Amino acid sequence: MITTSQLTKRVSTADGDLEILRGIALEIKRGETAAIVGASGSGKSTLLGLLAGLDVSTEGDVVIDGTSLASLDEDERALLRADKIGFVFQSFQLLPALTALENVMLPLELSGASDSDQRARDFLDRVGLSERRDHYPRTLSGGEQQRVAIARAFASEPLILFADEPTGNLDTATGAKIIDLLFALNTEQGTTLVLVTHDMSLAARCGRQLVMQAGELEEAS
Amino acid sequence: MAALLGSSLRLLLRDWRGGELGVLFSALILAVSLVVGISGFVNRLQINLERESSRFLAADLVVSTADRTPESFIARAAESGLARGETVTFSSMVVSESDEMFLASVKAVGGAYPLRGSLEIEDTNGQLTANQPNPGEVLLADRLVQQLNVLPGQRVWVGDAELVYAGKVISEPDGTSGFFGYGPRLMMHTADIEATGVIQPGSRVTFRLLISGSPDQVSEFADWVRPQLVQGQRLLTVEESQPGIGATLDRARGFLLLAGSLGVMLAAAAILVAARRFGERHTDHVAVMKSLGATSTTIRNLYAASLGWLGIAAILIGSVLGWLAQSAMFIALAEQLPGEINEIGVSPYITGAVTALVCIGFFAWPPLARLGLVSPLRVLRRETTIAGSQRALDLVLGTLSLAGLMIWYSKDVFLTSALMGGIAVTVGLGFLGARALLSSSRQLGSRAGSVWRLALAGMQRRGVNSAFQIVIFGVAIMLLLVLVSVRTSLLDQWRLQLPEGTPNHYLLNVAPQEADLINDFFTDKNVEVGRLYPSTRGRVMAVNETPLPTWEIGQEGPRQQEANFTSGAVMPEGNVVLDGEWWQPGTTESIVSLEEGFAQEIGAEVDDVLTLRIAANEFEARVANIREVDWESMQPNFFVIFPTEVLSRYPGMLLTSFYLEPGQKPVIGDLIDDFPTLTVIELDVVIDEIRAIVDQVSQAIELVLMIIMVAGALVLIAGVTASVDERLHESAILRALGARRGRILGAIAIEFSMMGAIAGLLAVVGAELSGWLLQTQMLELDYQPGWILWPFGLVLGALVIGGLGTYTCRRVVSVPPIQVLREV
Ligand SMILES: Nc1ncnc2c1ncn2[C@@H]1O[C@H](COP(=O)(O)OP(=O)(O)OP(=O)(O)O)[C@@H](O)[C@H]1O
Ligand SMILES: [Mg+2]
Repeated sequence: MITTSQLTKRVSTADGDLEILRGIALEIKRGETAAIVGASGSGKSTLLGLLAGLDVSTEGDVVIDGTSLASLDEDERALLRADKIGFVFQSFQLLPALTALENVMLPLELSGASDSDQRARDFLDRVGLSERRDHYPRTLSGGEQQRVAIARAFASEPLILFADEPTGNLDTATGAKIIDLLFALNTEQGTTLVLVTHDMSLAARCGRQLVMQAGELEEAS
Repeated sequence: MAALLGSSLRLLLRDWRGGELGVLFSALILAVSLVVGISGFVNRLQINLERESSRFLAADLVVSTADRTPESFIARAAESGLARGETVTFSSMVVSESDEMFLASVKAVGGAYPLRGSLEIEDTNGQLTANQPNPGEVLLADRLVQQLNVLPGQRVWVGDAELVYAGKVISEPDGTSGFFGYGPRLMMHTADIEATGVIQPGSRVTFRLLISGSPDQVSEFADWVRPQLVQGQRLLTVEESQPGIGATLDRARGFLLLAGSLGVMLAAAAILVAARRFGERHTDHVAVMKSLGATSTTIRNLYAASLGWLGIAAILIGSVLGWLAQSAMFIALAEQLPGEINEIGVSPYITGAVTALVCIGFFAWPPLARLGLVSPLRVLRRETTIAGSQRALDLVLGTLSLAGLMIWYSKDVFLTSALMGGIAVTVGLGFLGARALLSSSRQLGSRAGSVWRLALAGMQRRGVNSAFQIVIFGVAIMLLLVLVSVRTSLLDQWRLQLPEGTPNHYLLNVAPQEADLINDFFTDKNVEVGRLYPSTRGRVMAVNETPLPTWEIGQEGPRQQEANFTSGAVMPEGNVVLDGEWWQPGTTESIVSLEEGFAQEIGAEVDDVLTLRIAANEFEARVANIREVDWESMQPNFFVIFPTEVLSRYPGMLLTSFYLEPGQKPVIGDLIDDFPTLTVIELDVVIDEIRAIVDQVSQAIELVLMIIMVAGALVLIAGVTASVDERLHESAILRALGARRGRILGAIAIEFSMMGAIAGLLAVVGAELSGWLLQTQMLELDYQPGWILWPFGLVLGALVIGGLGTYTCRRVVSVPPIQVLREV
């Protein structure tokens, strides 16, 4: 489902080039759940960005469901995301101008689904927020916002879901509920799940644990 | 497509709810309504004033011929559906039943005369009517009735025609057009002309074809006639016949178009700032959409469609508001110009729509177009900036497009360049100065108290944005200053143009031997009388011995010209020598002074030798100087002036002007009684008309000024609002760290006041430059550098921007910090 080879990311900074990722080789199969852990600043988010096609690598390639990202331009990658990829972020990334329902509808509208309204309502029901449908993000608690974000991520039934520290901004109890929700929907849809986390108990629930260290990735034993 | 339109509309409505479109939308509406309002008003004003002034011609257009009006002209006018009238004027002896004889100025009228304005006739029963004389009848001026000693119903002979006296001419609309004709008025019908036998080859008769209709029809007819005119045929238009009104109108129009252009620039600036902010606020939005799979094309289409909706709404609302604004401006004028034209036509709406498109395309769109380039990586790394920021290019393109728009709109390259010059200076100095000040303020700040340090650090941290804000504030203040100062000079100029005591009557046909008697008469009546000018009809035959051609069809270039020659030792007041020198009093040298335009028409320059003819005498004179004449002054003006000693060899009549106060009208009657051969031309109506126009247009100008002030305020608000978000966050952090609200607000107040002071200074520099160019070159007004403006601009800028900024940012300290910090 996801394959990388020699994936390298370098950026130039004021004091010379900085190599954030150093030739990462990775393979994640359909339906697998993988957790990426590692120290802060080790390059986890950078890797996630490359895997999801949000950024381009300096060297190496990412192949998603048989499509090489290096061969795609920015817009083609966007279409690929619309089609196959969902996201959950640490800072939720809901659009403040849109209601909960409209936020969930957004990716459905972008991929041209005809029943976006109904599907968005269904998914808000699933995450237990049908009451808050017409509320704006700023009136929702962090946990509620993240539930909206999860509804948004699953509503378009992506093949792969990327999550960058989905519980990072939440207390332990709320975080646990969010994780339950995430895994429940994941099992139901058979989604491939790649998540970045500092939470070892969360990492433990995934099928695979990958450790990022100084730009290199290793499988945890 | 339908989906795009739908989702863009939704996007727009959501943003509207979020309050992010307010300034952008208002600025767009303002631009459209300003343009629609002002160009609508200017169109309407012009049409109405021309119509109103056309009563002085009794028509919209007159073809004056020395021979019978060619049939083809009449046929063409009939074909075009124009209303027609005719007049035939000549001087003739008139005889009454009691055998009294008197030289009268005869005017035969026919067709629908008068087409504009109205006659005032008192019939033999003492009833006032507005009817032209019937065939077989004459109407006489009161003076002529007395001289001829006629009673109602008695016969009067004009040449061979026998006519019946049927009433008195009290006033006629076109009494002041055309200075020739001797004696008091006799009015008859053109049907009786043949019978008089007066019209013979060589007799001095003027035939006039009067035309009226819609402005388009009339100008089409004028364009058709003009190339066919031969010698002795002339086209009289309202503007030519009343240069005072024409020039006043031109100035008013120039000013209003200037105001309109300024307003559009201000609105464009507001749009630019608002769109930038809109773009910035939407960056995260777009990054999320892109991470969810939106392509840059989708994003671009979405925002383009949103702007499209916004534009359509702004054009509709702006058009309605513009229509209302021009109606409001016209209410003041309605009394003066009894409701003739109420439509403003479609062109103002088209101009308004094009303005909206330019504003959207060049000011609102660029920041939004860049949204397509936002990296989706922003969802993971906030600080990822927009790729390829090209603000400078946007500004240049925007300015060029605006210049194009203004040229199209005001049809005035000069006005546009003067304003653009001022803006360029303000912007250029602004960026340089702001940069320099910002960097030096850091050192200042480190030595200052904590509030100041906070303020200066804030200003500096926002670096480019602060400079941009300063420049925007500067441009806005500059445009407002230009407008206010031009307005002030214009109104002053108008007040001075026709001061109290401007001569409102002309006195013609004064015989040289009567001069002293007439002076005594006026001294006696306590009436101020102007200089007496000799006036002799003469003709320029040749320049440097090259004979000038007479008038021929379609021929361009210099030709013979006829004019009233005068003489004097000193130059008439209000004239200015452009080339050459005025002569020493007492000179006997055969020299002449020419009016600028007249010199051009005969193709003469200083030191050329002219061959001139007065009656049967030919003589030569060297051109001593070329003069500019103030045609608006209402003083007697002459194309051709000689030294007194030169013209005294060719005696002629004299003319002068005098001023009567409203209650002194009876003096004219006494004057005519004492000197029956004089001709008095009453200009008081024209002068009143000009004064009234000036008053009313001044009111309209004040209204426009107020609207422009709103546009200016909008720019300032947009500029101030632009940094609220950032400040909100900063202030929340500072307050979370324990800063007092007073300190934060104080820092904000200082920061904005400093920016305002710099902007104010810049504005004054730019305004001085543009103001100087506009006033001296375009409006032909005197320019005085406004030194007081300098400290004024500085203090005003500091106060206004400081106050507005602090007011707008007060939310920054009233919102609980936690709410801000939670809003990510
Ligand atoms: N475009 C860039 N320019 C400069 N430095 C960058 C850039 N992108 C990432 N970095 C640096 O690369 C390193 C890795 O960043 P990344 O965000 O991937 O870390 P992370 O593992 O997600 O850390 P955290 O757990 O704190 O989120 C950091 O030191 C970051 O500063
Ligand atoms: Mg990270």
